Amino acid sequence: MYHTGSFIKGQSRVHHLDPRLKLAVTIVFSLVILRLEQPVIYTAGVALFVLALACGISLRTIGQSIKPLLFFMALIFVTHLFFGERKNDVAINNAFFDFSFSCFGLQQGFFVLWQFLCLIVVAVLLTVTTAPSQLVAAIKYYLRPFARLRLPVDDVAVMIMLAFRLMPILLAEKERMENARSARGFDPRRSGLLAGVKSFVLFASKIISGVFRRADEIALAMDARNYQRGERSSFVELKFASADYLIMVVLCCSLVIFVALNLYFG
Amino acid sequence: MIILQDVHYRYEPEGIDALRGVSLQIQAGEHLAVIGPNGCGKTTLIRHLNALLLPTGGRVIVDSLDTQDRTRHAEIRSQVGMVFQNPDTQIVGMTVEEDVAFGPENLRLPTAEIKKRVNESLARVGIAELAGRNIENLSGGEKRLVAIAGVLAMRPRYIALDEPTAFLDPAATGRVLSVIDRLHSEGVGIIHITHNMAEAALTQRILVMSRGCVCLDGAPRDIFARVEELKKIGLQLPQITELFIRLKASGFPVHAGIVTIEDALQQVISMAVQSKD
Repeated sequence: MYHTGSFIKGQSRVHHLDPRLKLAVTIVFSLVILRLEQPVIYTAGVALFVLALACGISLRTIGQSIKPLLFFMALIFVTHLFFGERKNDVAINNAFFDFSFSCFGLQQGFFVLWQFLCLIVVAVLLTVTTAPSQLVAAIKYYLRPFARLRLPVDDVAVMIMLAFRLMPILLAEKERMENARSARGFDPRRSGLLAGVKSFVLFASKIISGVFRRADEIALAMDARNYQRGERSSFVELKFASADYLIMVVLCCSLVIFVALNLYFG
Repeated sequence: MIILQDVHYRYEPEGIDALRGVSLQIQAGEHLAVIGPNGCGKTTLIRHLNALLLPTGGRVIVDSLDTQDRTRHAEIRSQVGMVFQNPDTQIVGMTVEEDVAFGPENLRLPTAEIKKRVNESLARVGIAELAGRNIENLSGGEKRLVAIAGVLAMRPRYIALDEPTAFLDPAATGRVLSVIDRLHSEGVGIIHITHNMAEAALTQRILVMSRGCVCLDGAPRDIFARVEELKKIGLQLPQITELFIRLKASGFPVHAGIVTIEDALQQVISMAVQSKD
């Protein structure tokens, strides 16, 4: 079962790249996406979608990653459409509707949505093609200099790894509890506001107590396997291969092209 | 050898005495089953073996290391591996190999040695082909085997397993038991909590616990001969033992101390040969 952000094993070139490169590229591209103007952003977005598909990431997987953010995205779009800068307003008056919206707002809304989509695809590209252990190793690599400032780098890495591990467990637990409630005839759509709030509070408190119980159990299991705070060795070997250098050059070139196009059209 | 000397353990703040003066010795390479009703202290007992719990009274000594000495916990936990009842709370990694590597990473072994141990452990439990698989896509039986492999990667002398076959279907149960059996034949000491009497019957020695005490300790044949005491504690006999006791009570010339299918088969064959003669 795919959960948002889960790694999917594959054999694409991107899968085999060094996680440090992928993490750095993700950060740089995310920042660049936020600076790109129209129409360059659309070209960049299409390129990202093509890259994602080439890596074996299906549209369904991208769709599943977008799903939890749909409400937020719709809100952004509607806000731009009706409450953004009013330019080239279009009025719709008929027997059923009487309202106006801004054409500029529509364009802006679509632009922001596209930016959002691009950011999601970049994030999906990273998480789907990079095993969590590799990602953690890359984060650990970049945090290593902060060890001099007494940042517990290895502990932070273990915390990130546990967060990755706990996410699907907690989602499964939430689903189980929802099913248990439905099996006993609970329907949130039919319950009143007060009953709904009461049930939500009960549900949330159960989830939270479940999280603490799990955390305790996992901590005990980690103790049993000799986990101690401080330095640990790693199963993951980070190696920069020739393909990584090649991809780095290609990505740098494309970055320069996009920035140049942005300056030209901007 | 693991030695428990008059071990007491009290859960605070509830004030529940989970262990009340347990004394026993577990030899290296021994296959031991711990049985008893729920809440009798089985899990508490095995958690003392690798210093996850420290006795509130008495001593636990693992290969001459006292568990009260916190500086030796790393060594003790490398010697005694622990497989928990629910693999979901034991598995830390996202993929099979990452999880198996967790223990050796804690031992600060070099990457090449970690990889060697991961491959070796996965092969020992027969799941080498699952190495790169996501944990979430595994069956319950496969998760148990991953948990066992994770412990094996630390190369322990003993493994304590808390109901390793609970909630598994017969095929997965058989797979887990055959792995346990193989590890025992390779010289690993096995301490195995179970509610399944047929599983307990396959071990060399059974500890019967009740209310925080070890009330019976002996070979399966001797333990299952003490029918009334077991019933008093609330335990049942293996079905095959029960069958032969009833056959004997009905006047058939059989021995009552049958605990495994192999014993029963021998009995039936010898009876058939006798009646043929």
